[in-house]
Amino acid sequence: MRTNSGGLDSGPSLDLQRFLKTWGTLLGFVFLVVLFSLLRPDAFAQIRNLRNLVEQVATLAIASAGVGMVMVTGDFDLSVGAVASLSGVILASLLVSGVGIAPAILLTVLAGAAIGAVNGLIIAYAGVSPFIGTLAAMTSYTGLALFITRGTTVFGLPAAFRWIGQGRVGPIPTPVVIMVGVVLATWILLDYTTFGQRLYAIGGNRQAAYLAGINTSRARFFAYVYSGVTASISGIVLTSRLFSAHPQAAAPFMLNAAAAVFLGMTAFRDGQPNAFGTVLGVLIMGVLSNGLNIVGVDTYIQSVLTGAILILAVLLSGLSQRSA
Amino acid sequence: MKGAVRIALPLMVLAAAGLPLWAGGASEPEERVEIAVVTPYMASATTAQVINQFQEYGEENGWNIRISDTAGDFGLLVTRIQDMVSQQVDAIVLGMGDPQQMSAGLSAAEEAGVPVFGLDAGFTDGVYLNVTSDNHDLGRQAAEALIDVIGEEGPVVMFTHDPHPGVRARAEGARELFAEYPGIEIVREIHIEVPGPVDFARSVTEDLLTSFSAAGSIAGIWAGWDEPAYGATQAIQRDGRDEIRVVGVDGTDFAKQEIDSAPIFTATIEQDFDGMARLLSNLVRDYLAGETVESREYQIPGTVYR
Repeated sequence: MRTNSGGLDSGPSLDLQRFLKTWGTLLGFVFLVVLFSLLRPDAFAQIRNLRNLVEQVATLAIASAGVGMVMVTGDFDLSVGAVASLSGVILASLLVSGVGIAPAILLTVLAGAAIGAVNGLIIAYAGVSPFIGTLAAMTSYTGLALFITRGTTVFGLPAAFRWIGQGRVGPIPTPVVIMVGVVLATWILLDYTTFGQRLYAIGGNRQAAYLAGINTSRARFFAYVYSGVTASISGIVLTSRLFSAHPQAAAPFMLNAAAAVFLGMTAFRDGQPNAFGTVLGVLIMGVLSNGLNIVGVDTYIQSVLTGAILILAVLLSGLSQRSA
Repeated sequence: MKGAVRIALPLMVLAAAGLPLWAGGASEPEERVEIAVVTPYMASATTAQVINQFQEYGEENGWNIRISDTAGDFGLLVTRIQDMVSQQVDAIVLGMGDPQQMSAGLSAAEEAGVPVFGLDAGFTDGVYLNVTSDNHDLGRQAAEALIDVIGEEGPVVMFTHDPHPGVRARAEGARELFAEYPGIEIVREIHIEVPGPVDFARSVTEDLLTSFSAAGSIAGIWAGWDEPAYGATQAIQRDGRDEIRVVGVDGTDFAKQEIDSAPIFTATIEQDFDGMARLLSNLVRDYLAGETVESREYQIPGTVYR
């Protein structure tokens, strides 16, 4: 079942350790924000830039929410970027062929759910390893997106479609509103429903969860369906943001979403994926990229730094899990 | 449920895999010239365009064209070349990509006597000949188009991708031209990540516009190909910095549409992909007929679209 750090309850050094384990990632995030604010107070610490930043990370955060749900069970979803890209291609093709915006979106989300269901069948019911299964599925979905587009960019979308990825709800960018909705839904599902508790139980000890009467295959199956749905929503928002669809537009999500979940595992809940931790992970990656761009650090060095920070976070996550 | 899925899924996969073979009439083997096209960049709109056109010309010649994409994986590309050599294809066409990263594959082809032709790829030992755009000139022309609209002075940002030899040559051409104008200052050179160059370029441009917020602090953006130019244009439009101008290279349809509809994306340099594909198919045909070629490197000029 769910674990916590309740066993570490004596002495100031252990209190500090527990504090750092729970809040260290958040402190790291705050440190980055303060650092870049000091380095470029005229540019980084401005409302306009913060709005840019959350808008930039919104698509990744939406996709990561679903990946996080899969990872709660101890599984993995490498196909998320391919599903998001394929969803964008499906949506854009529907729009270009004259289908209305609302039905095209609905069909795309249904396609995302169906793709997630295929992943769920392969992994939860057919017993294929999540790593191999989603890697293979990713290859097929990428091939399908390339086949549909013949490798080209789909453009010429209806003007009204811009609102989803480039519009505003009051002062807030629409992608951020959608991101908040998806994250809240994920949080409620994980923390306040029996389904979420079952997912954590499966992630804690699948055999014990099974013996306790949980239908582990069904729960894992629905986690993949959810990941397919969030990936397709992410693909829809990305397609609107770029006002075009490309068969590999969301390919970087494959690693970035998993990295965000890993980063988030070190926050709020000892060594376990959680909705707000994942958002924090996405924000850390976004702040790093945005801040380093604004400061003017070479793009290659940015990759070096991002990788190093991810390794650090995963190490911290491992320490956290061992001591929990 | 689990048992049924374990039996049904493999059967469905087998059926799905077998369907194209059956539909394609795999039971009728023919003696046809086999040409393998291997590429790491089929997801790039322009690579897909030139390869698809080559496929059309090849099929008109009665060849069987097999296309293999490794999605940016150069290690796998070497393996694919080796696979094609062991399948004894008549020729291998390398669709873009730096052949210097594929020396093991090229050696295997050379030893087996399978010629490797470059289609907008680089030229090195093991490549029989290469047909490409004059990338250096494409980059120079794009830089000229930018200078035409911003004047002969102002801060310029360059979007590059050095792992691609063609884009690297374009950047070198652009740098050379910018250096001829003392009033032009390259304030940033940014490597654009692939895949996902449109979103990457859009986010980077948003950050740049924050960093260079004063009017006139960026006069223009030179992009090594159209996709990052498109992403940059969207960020500039969103920010209302309409004084900034953007140029790209490739002459893709989406770039032309953007150039026609708004002033920010100013120009793209069209590559003659059709000419490249046609010339290469003629050269491969001549080679297979035992004729000798006049040159080992053919460079096709580009034209400005604005």
